[in-house]
Amino acid sequence: MSDPFKPRPAFAPWDRRELPGLFDVEESARRVGTYKWIEMRLFEALGGWVATVPELDVKMILGRHCYHHAWHAELFDKRLPELREMNTERLCAPANDAMAEFVEALREPEAPEHTIEKLVGVYRVLAPRKIAAYTFHMNATSKITDAPTERSLEFILQDELNDWREGEMLLQSLIDTPDELERAMRRQQELEAIVLRAGGITGPGTIGVTPEIEGAGV
Amino acid sequence: MRKQLPPEMLARDARFVRTSIMDQIMDPRNQKIAERNTGSAKLEPGRPAAGDRARNLMHGIFTGEIQALEGAGRTTFDFDETEAPFALKLDMARQCWDEARHVEISIKLGDWMGTEIGEFSEATFLYEAACAPDPVLRLCGVNRALEGLAIDVFNTMKEFGDVSGDPVLEFCEDWMLADEVTHVKMGSDWLRRLTADDPERRERALEFQKTVDKLFSLGGFRGETDDNPIHLARKLRQMAGFTTTEIDEIADLAAQAQADAQAAVEAAGSA
Repeated sequence: MSDPFKPRPAFAPWDRRELPGLFDVEESARRVGTYKWIEMRLFEALGGWVATVPELDVKMILGRHCYHHAWHAELFDKRLPELREMNTERLCAPANDAMAEFVEALREPEAPEHTIEKLVGVYRVLAPRKIAAYTFHMNATSKITDAPTERSLEFILQDELNDWREGEMLLQSLIDTPDELERAMRRQQELEAIVLRAGGITGPGTIGVTPEIEGAGV
Repeated sequence: MRKQLPPEMLARDARFVRTSIMDQIMDPRNQKIAERNTGSAKLEPGRPAAGDRARNLMHGIFTGEIQALEGAGRTTFDFDETEAPFALKLDMARQCWDEARHVEISIKLGDWMGTEIGEFSEATFLYEAACAPDPVLRLCGVNRALEGLAIDVFNTMKEFGDVSGDPVLEFCEDWMLADEVTHVKMGSDWLRRLTADDPERRERALEFQKTVDKLFSLGGFRGETDDNPIHLARKLRQMAGFTTTEIDEIADLAAQAQADAQAAVEAAGSA
């Protein structure tokens, strides 16, 4: 029988988490605020579009995904005060003017003939950008000090990956002709050009490529 | 995308056929049907055409669920956070998911009952109530009035599933009923919160709800007598936060709507 009073290492041998992370409290809060902002603008757009898409399957999926993003916004909203941001509205803002422009462009299509344009914006531009940003946050932040953010991001990423796949499959099922393919590519390029100027959903450095972070070590 | 999307812009595929609710109520064939003394109007398996009536009602539920989904979705988009607080938007997004599930359930149930999408016409009355410019009016018109009607309809369909020996229908309606009670309660909670310091706004919202309740008693479709196919589900409504007085008021409005519709049909017949 093992001795329960025999000292053991404080961390299990398989627990390889490190204390340091790239973000301080302020930087994590800033990013979480921009995440909340983008999730809000997205769930509003999906909710608004439900009435404008004639395809029944798309209508129902947008309704479901609308709630997923609202839940993500709620998780980020709850995290902000824990990151010393008591006014949860202050950081709920676009990272820069280009991101505000991107969201306006993303939400612009309305006509029932523009389902492809709507879906491309969400599933071929924004969803991959969010997945990239959230993945970087998980990889870069301290897995010990910022664990609550990491845990939320884990749940959120699971949703994002599932929804991204479902949205992409919708698009593949809707794009039938060279003309529709052209429309999808053009739309993607238009929106990517804006998000490129923005530097990603949290601005330059969204996925870590900034001079400060490059110099931080291997 | 614009704010406030009018009902005529609701997007549908080619299977759907749109009609107006007044055309349905004022259909002159209704008088002929009413003249047939077939006894209780209650949805019972032994009644003539009970199956067709149930399928028609199920298709009505299906199109109503689509519009409920669209209405909740628009409420997430149409208002900024000064008009509709963040938590209200979250509730509306949650309702979007619930309504999307109800659409899924309705399609599968319709298929189970032998109905095709578009076999019956669609009136956009539910969505019209979701176009009010004040979110509190939307919550009263949709969540309290129309989702309240949904409680009555689902309860009737659940009972029909039970007496007609259709466990699938009974099972699905029971699940949807649970969601509807939640949506009605959501509407009641937000009405209280958003109008706590504004009694005039609350009064306007409750007036709007009364108008919707009367209109959607559909000239005798809902009530508490044998003449009404859909009966007020008093117990479930209480669970959703309605007081006995409020339920009595809805019963009175329904009786009034039935009397008005009969008078209108008789006047049209004698003209």
